[in-house]
Amino acid sequence: MKASVSLTVNGKRHQLAVDTRTILVDLLREQLRLTGTHVGCATGNCGACTVFLNGQTVKSCCVLAADADEAEVLTVEGLSGQPDQLHPIQEAFVQNQGLQCGYCTPGMILSTLQLLQENPDPSEDEIRHGIAGNLCRCTGYHFIVTSIQDAARRLREASGAAAGASGKEVAP
Amino acid sequence: MDYTISTAAAVSLTPNRFWRAIQQAREGARVIANEIEFHAPREVDGVLALLAQHGADATLLAGGMSLLPAMNLGLAQPTVVVSLNHLPGLDYVEDDGDTLRLGALVRHERVRADPLVRRHCPFLSEAATVIGDVQVRHRGTLGGSIAHADPAADYLPVLAAADARVTLRGPQGERTVAARDFFVDLMTTARQPSELVVEVVVPKLGAPRGTAYLRLARVEGSFAIVNAAAVVEPGLRAGCVAIGGVGPRPVLVDAGPYLQGGLTDVALDRIGDAAYEASADAYGDISADPEYRQAMARVYARRAVRTAAARLTS
Repeated sequence: MKASVSLTVNGKRHQLAVDTRTILVDLLREQLRLTGTHVGCATGNCGACTVFLNGQTVKSCCVLAADADEAEVLTVEGLSGQPDQLHPIQEAFVQNQGLQCGYCTPGMILSTLQLLQENPDPSEDEIRHGIAGNLCRCTGYHFIVTSIQDAARRLREASGAAAGASGKEVAP
Repeated sequence: MDYTISTAAAVSLTPNRFWRAIQQAREGARVIANEIEFHAPREVDGVLALLAQHGADATLLAGGMSLLPAMNLGLAQPTVVVSLNHLPGLDYVEDDGDTLRLGALVRHERVRADPLVRRHCPFLSEAATVIGDVQVRHRGTLGGSIAHADPAADYLPVLAAADARVTLRGPQGERTVAARDFFVDLMTTARQPSELVVEVVVPKLGAPRGTAYLRLARVEGSFAIVNAAAVVEPGLRAGCVAIGGVGPRPVLVDAGPYLQGGLTDVALDRIGDAAYEASADAYGDISADPEYRQAMARVYARRAVRTAAARLTS
């Protein structure tokens, strides 16, 4: 059976007919060809399918596409406007060897964005809890943690610079 | 009382089968095979109408963090799915004098972080904090979790110890059921097929009372093996501890009589013994055998009471 779904993905609005059996990750990957989001387990454990849904990270293998009607979705592809201009979080992962095979990486990066939006200066413990929903089989997490610490610093510096440029005081 | 099988209970989703199914699913396809009639009503009456029409054939979908994995593995094959995610007005946390009222669709993250919950029912916030992970907590709901009634679910012993009440809405209107009576059997609740869980009402158990929620799990975010929730009144004049993961429904121990002489080693021994005896029918699965669960019931009942008592502020 088909359902009509209207959703905004990375700022672009789509009107789609989806099979009601389709899970959101498959809609993103197969209908919208946004293959940065990955399927690792289909049981809500590994987090490779992490996307933002209405402003919060979710595991898109556990959301029916039909249930995302009128939702706003952000995938890893939506993080930077230009393909060759990485988001500071992505840049930090590159510079700190925060990936090996890269399969968990888009999910890790979006979970990092969620974490740093709420906590711009997380402790190592807070970082590890923040990515507890994202499994990595390659790295042992060490360089993922350092990537996130670096990403946090980059984002703090960027917001400090922006505030300085506009003449506003940086909030404590 | 008519007992009915709630959302995914028809699937008999026991932890053992879940892990075996993952192994099988690795070899097979994970596409959902059966056709699904999908509904996303925008008001509760719409849900009730669909429940009236389809009865137990209607599968309610809230956070989906239990149902969707089961569907992806082929363990659950619902033909009619009714999403609750587009219902307004069921995601509130309200101060109602002596109680907190939480809408059934409050997500775990809000149960964890809401200042009213942290202040007035801290062990409910403690339980929500350890459910799954960040992404799971953004989606999973209080109402969905208790309607699913997995025996190791984090909320169950908390609501039993707190003596909370569950509000159900059906064709005849609303009724409330004590949480201690709502959890009836393995993944089976007092909800009738025509009813929807709409609210949980929790007594205020903040300071000066002490509460604690503890769980035993091998890995953070995985299913608990055993968990325990305790409430202790000031002066140790009363207390109770509920233990999950040792039976189809939480096991409740009245700790009050044992605490009369103070929080002594003997008192904790007796509370542990009572928890152990009450867990005699503990189930076994791939995570833990019955003997271990029963042994841990003693440990966690003691720890929960000790921790709750340490948090008394008068």
